[in-house]
Amino acid sequence: MPALCTAKATFKKLSGSLELTDTHLQWTQDSKKAPSVRVPYAEFASLFCSREGAAQVRLKVGLVNDDAGHNFTFTSPQPISLTERENFKRELTTIIGRNRGAIDATPARTPLASTPGTPNPTVSRPTVPLPRPSTSRAVSVSSGSTPVPSGNDATTDFRLRKKVLVGNPDLATLHRELVVTGQITEAEFWEGREHLLLAQAASDSQKRGRPGTLVDPRPQTVDGGEIKIVITPQLVHDIFEEFPVVAKAYSENVPNKLSEGEFWKRYFHSRLFHAHRASIRSSAAQHVMKDDPIFDKYLEPDDDDLEPRRQRDEDVEMFVDLGATREDHDETGNVKDVTMQAGRQKGVLPLIRKFNEHSERLLKSVLGPDDGPAAKRRRLDADSSDRYNEIDLDDLHDAQDSVGIILEMQDRQRYFEGGLSSAKSTSTEDVAKQKMDVRAALREAKDNTQDWGRNLAQLKLEKKSADEALGAMTKNVTARLETRIQKNDLPPNLFRQMATCQTAANEFLRQYWSSVYPPASELQTLATPTLAQRATKEAKMIGYLVKTHEKVDALVRTARIEGVEPGRVEIAMKPVLNAVDKALAHHRARRPPIPRPT
Amino acid sequence: MKFTIDNLPIVFPYDRIYPEQYAYMCDLKRTLDATGHCVLEMPSGTGKTVSLLSLIVSYQQFYPTRRKLIYCSRTVPEIEKALSELKRLMDYRISTAETEEERTKEKNFTGLGLTSRKNLCIHPEVSKEKKGKVVDARCRDLTNAVACQKGRENPGSVPLCDWHEKLNEAEPGNLVPPGIWTLADVLQYGRDHGTCPYFTVRRMMPFVDVVIYSFHYLLDPKVAEQVSKEISKDAIVVFDEAHNIDNVCIESLSVDLTRPMLESASRSVHKLSEKIEEIKQTDASKLQDEYAKLVEGLQEASDARDEDAFMANPVLPDDLLKEAVPGNIRKAEHFVAFLKRFVEYLKTRMRVLHVVAETPLSFLQHLKDITYIERRPLRFCAERLQSLVRTLNITRLDEFSSLQKVASFATLVATYEKGFLLILEPFETDNATVPNPIFHFVCLDPAIAIKPVFERFSSVVITSGTISPLDMYPKMLQFTPVVQETYPMTLTRNAFLPLIITRGSDQVAISSRFEVRNDPAVVRNFGSILVEYSKIVPDGIVAFFPSYLYMESIVAAWNDMGILNEVWKHKLIFVETPDANETSIALENYRRACNNGRGAVLLSVARGKVAEGIDFDHNYGRAVIMFGIPYQYTESRILKARLEYLRDAYRIRESEFLGFDAIRNAAQCVGRVLRGKTDWGLMVFADKRFARADKRAKLPRWINQYITETAANLSTDMALTLSKLFMRTISQNPNENQTGISLWTLEDVEKAQAKQKALALEMEQLQEDPVDEDEYGDGGFSDRLIGELDLDI
Repeated sequence: MPALCTAKATFKKLSGSLELTDTHLQWTQDSKKAPSVRVPYAEFASLFCSREGAAQVRLKVGLVNDDAGHNFTFTSPQPISLTERENFKRELTTIIGRNRGAIDATPARTPLASTPGTPNPTVSRPTVPLPRPSTSRAVSVSSGSTPVPSGNDATTDFRLRKKVLVGNPDLATLHRELVVTGQITEAEFWEGREHLLLAQAASDSQKRGRPGTLVDPRPQTVDGGEIKIVITPQLVHDIFEEFPVVAKAYSENVPNKLSEGEFWKRYFHSRLFHAHRASIRSSAAQHVMKDDPIFDKYLEPDDDDLEPRRQRDEDVEMFVDLGATREDHDETGNVKDVTMQAGRQKGVLPLIRKFNEHSERLLKSVLGPDDGPAAKRRRLDADSSDRYNEIDLDDLHDAQDSVGIILEMQDRQRYFEGGLSSAKSTSTEDVAKQKMDVRAALREAKDNTQDWGRNLAQLKLEKKSADEALGAMTKNVTARLETRIQKNDLPPNLFRQMATCQTAANEFLRQYWSSVYPPASELQTLATPTLAQRATKEAKMIGYLVKTHEKVDALVRTARIEGVEPGRVEIAMKPVLNAVDKALAHHRARRPPIPRPT
Repeated sequence: MKFTIDNLPIVFPYDRIYPEQYAYMCDLKRTLDATGHCVLEMPSGTGKTVSLLSLIVSYQQFYPTRRKLIYCSRTVPEIEKALSELKRLMDYRISTAETEEERTKEKNFTGLGLTSRKNLCIHPEVSKEKKGKVVDARCRDLTNAVACQKGRENPGSVPLCDWHEKLNEAEPGNLVPPGIWTLADVLQYGRDHGTCPYFTVRRMMPFVDVVIYSFHYLLDPKVAEQVSKEISKDAIVVFDEAHNIDNVCIESLSVDLTRPMLESASRSVHKLSEKIEEIKQTDASKLQDEYAKLVEGLQEASDARDEDAFMANPVLPDDLLKEAVPGNIRKAEHFVAFLKRFVEYLKTRMRVLHVVAETPLSFLQHLKDITYIERRPLRFCAERLQSLVRTLNITRLDEFSSLQKVASFATLVATYEKGFLLILEPFETDNATVPNPIFHFVCLDPAIAIKPVFERFSSVVITSGTISPLDMYPKMLQFTPVVQETYPMTLTRNAFLPLIITRGSDQVAISSRFEVRNDPAVVRNFGSILVEYSKIVPDGIVAFFPSYLYMESIVAAWNDMGILNEVWKHKLIFVETPDANETSIALENYRRACNNGRGAVLLSVARGKVAEGIDFDHNYGRAVIMFGIPYQYTESRILKARLEYLRDAYRIRESEFLGFDAIRNAAQCVGRVLRGKTDWGLMVFADKRFARADKRAKLPRWINQYITETAANLSTDMALTLSKLFMRTISQNPNENQTGISLWTLEDVEKAQAKQKALALEMEQLQEDPVDEDEYGDGGFSDRLIGELDLDI
């Protein structure tokens, strides 16, 4: 690979050589063959340099995912190392610039690439001592019908999982309990949790957009009344992009007429810079400015007429075309009053135009230049459906029926018959009800309410029953209060054990049911495991589930030892046990002969 | 869906209908049946246009009279939207037509939109002209009758417009196939077939069922004379988005003269006299002919085709004199001398260095004293100039536009006595020292311009999202509506949240009142509202300022205070500029930023270009912030004169009118965020004066009904808390079914109709019964009904 530039440089205090090839930046330690640092272009995010004149000539490269980046120190004698660094700097600046520009234009680097999911024998292996990404990959990564960004290599996959676990302590605990102890494999653990990985991958691949702030280098005042503007390669790049005229001036004058340092110095003193500053106050400072024969050439008069100097003949969509309204009829009427005349404050119009241009530029850097011929065509072709969309009231349409999920019922026949018969019986009642005379009902109601005052006065309550009711209520309240007070009195140790037991059992249940039921079509991210695979898994899970009872018993025993009422533990674990029993019963009913895995 | 209202079958191009829409259509039908006028206020974004078109088209198609629909809107985007809406309605009608016969009937229904030559020209050179006036003039040179005649007799002698010539090949009334043609469609058709879109529309106007154009084409006598003359009297006229109709009326009869204009006018007069000399040498008979015609009477002079009309009379048809041009200006050279004298007189008036306000009568008196110009010839000034221009066969008429303006001024000032005022302002502002005089001829009474419309057409519908208080319009425009209605908005959940912020988080009251508007604390508090909302609101935010002046000063101040830097961190910023094209591009970029998810803030001006007719529905506007109350500039002499007139003539108090005008504009701005009931948005009114009861009472009912007591007086931080809460709730899936409450299916409509019928029946019975019971007339079982039951027992 031909190197664009090379230099002697130290990295982490080891001496070696730094090389920039046309795809990577790499650093090779002396006496070694393979580079130990290799960074692809796409990873570069920022660039920092040591100050000119500093003892050491350093270059720091910040990466997309890693702000710390790499630090290189150029080891050649000063003047040479400086030029070397300049070379690197120049190249890297353009690369970084390109990276930023292309942030959203290029599709996000897919962190996971799809690999054909081949049935992997390791799946059925009951114990995998440590998560081994290389073996688990084939299963966790899929080639389902849905486009899933999947790992191009195991490491990204592993990193993703790690991130998910770090961000989710509960899941991490479960993972520790089950996978690290080897009860289920890594692959099985992640099965059905792909969405977490996907979400993580998606959020990882989201890159920060360009910050929207205007490029406005604010001078800092250092003591002695001098002002100072720190120029970073970053700033230079931003200035060039924001003000192409500066880039033009730079290319025309540096290094022939001006040195780089001088260029910037003069630029920041020039009228041009003040014209570029986003403030109307700067215009006040203009008369203090000295003439600058080089930069004044590039100065354009302020764009502060009512009509912009640069007329743009772009086709605007009819629905936002304000110009068409202006031309729709002759101007009539009196002039607008003073406050409604635009552009009375002269300095503001260039500022406003700057805002609009800046926003447009940012937008274009993200969306790509949409105003090209393609966009024109789109607008011309825009068939009526597109225009209808803008005037549509979508909630006035009938909801489109979704396909829905058919309810599978056991014994459907009986259900319908039952419904019919009950309907029959109720329908006769209905008829009877309808026949009931409204007047009669009204009369009855009226009779009932007659003398209500006297009735109310005669109302007497028996003492005994009242007392009873009150007593019951009090008891209820105390009971509630007690439970509330006693809530957390389980020894923490036991409580943790119970929780673990419960989550583990839940996980086994999840695994079991997911292997029993046909995979949901839209979540089919895994290579659909073969029947045999599923059967083995099912059997394994049942094996675990069967043990749940024992575990709970053990818990109860511990509780007794700890001096906690065992009944409470039992009650607490009851739902889990129920669920487990259900699963076991289902398993027995479904397939009496269990093919034991070997 | 299809349903009937009192036996009128309605085709509505959706599966469901909002209850408001149904009620609106019922009231509209009542108006049409009664052949009267109406004022209807319908909440923004509830499909006003589609209900209106749906009912009127159904009406047209059902009754054999086929009354023509004249639909007026304010802006070209709105015209285009209305046309698209109509096109979609007709597509739907065609697809749901039951018999073949009906289908052909629907297919033959034709609708067109009209706008200026500038917008419709496809001539490769003429259309490149930047100014509409120049396009008009060049087009006329290529298409007027004389040029056409010459060009056809002797091809190549005179340049003609091929696109215009091609139109003559088709038979009139059949220039485009029947159907609905949006402006874009007509342009495309013209390009495809090599015909002129503008004249296609103009010549098709008498043959179509629906015409959609802007207010001016009906209200401005200069345009209406040419365009809307032939429309039959039974046409249905609709003014949509009519909340500013009074301003359009006033503008159409007002004229401004400036010194540069007068200079240009006297140059034109000079050119005219040269031309007369020239003609005298070459073709004296022409002038003789003209003279003879003028003796006979003016009307016969205009026998040429209507599209030749170079400039129409600025005076309303009723006020036109149907008599011959007075003798002293019949001769061309006399008329030119007359014009010269008049222009010179105006120039001398401009030299005065103090403000003058006078009535037309006093102006005429002074004019007569100085120059001996009488009122009568002055009245014919515009007509006479038109005749002369035609006789002399003058090209590039745009160069004569100043003279035309002076002639219109002359005619207007000599025609109207009441409701007008002349104001001479020698300086632009009070503290200016260099004179820049403007002679305003101000129309003060909107009723004058609209009167012929009300008199001529049997049904005039005035409708908008914001025309509260309703009784203001009949008062100002001097008409009696048969129906006058405002509709509340039925919502199953609050789709929008109006908030009134009266003070900043630091408890300093905020207001755009002139005395405090530039106070740094107020500016900062306004700024922090924008910053905070740009942090929490997704996609688009639109902010409106009361005036350009204020927007410009506040944008500069915010920039220097670093407030905009905060906003840049969260959203892009776009600002309305004085140039329409530039603003359109900014708008388009704004919408792209909203679609992309980057989000953007648009700063613009109430009553400005953007506020008049651009919608910010869905993600294009999740929040609208109204900074201050958009009062008009009360120091304006024109406004003062108008207020005085309103007080004297119609007994509308100054403060009442100013408040009404400000609030209708504010409501118009905030109303643009909604389209449909699943759309949602925040409406922030940031001014302490909005909290006052008299201001709030002027808001349209559908907004006012959703302002809670707590939301009526908030500080910035409280408003933010409420907004966050609102957005959290609104972002959830609406569980409850809207159907039946804010959405009606066909059954619901029928149910409502049945109920109405029952109610009507009951009412009838009540009227038959002499039982007097006006105390409990609030629905439900009436006491009488229960009483009867009791008697039976």
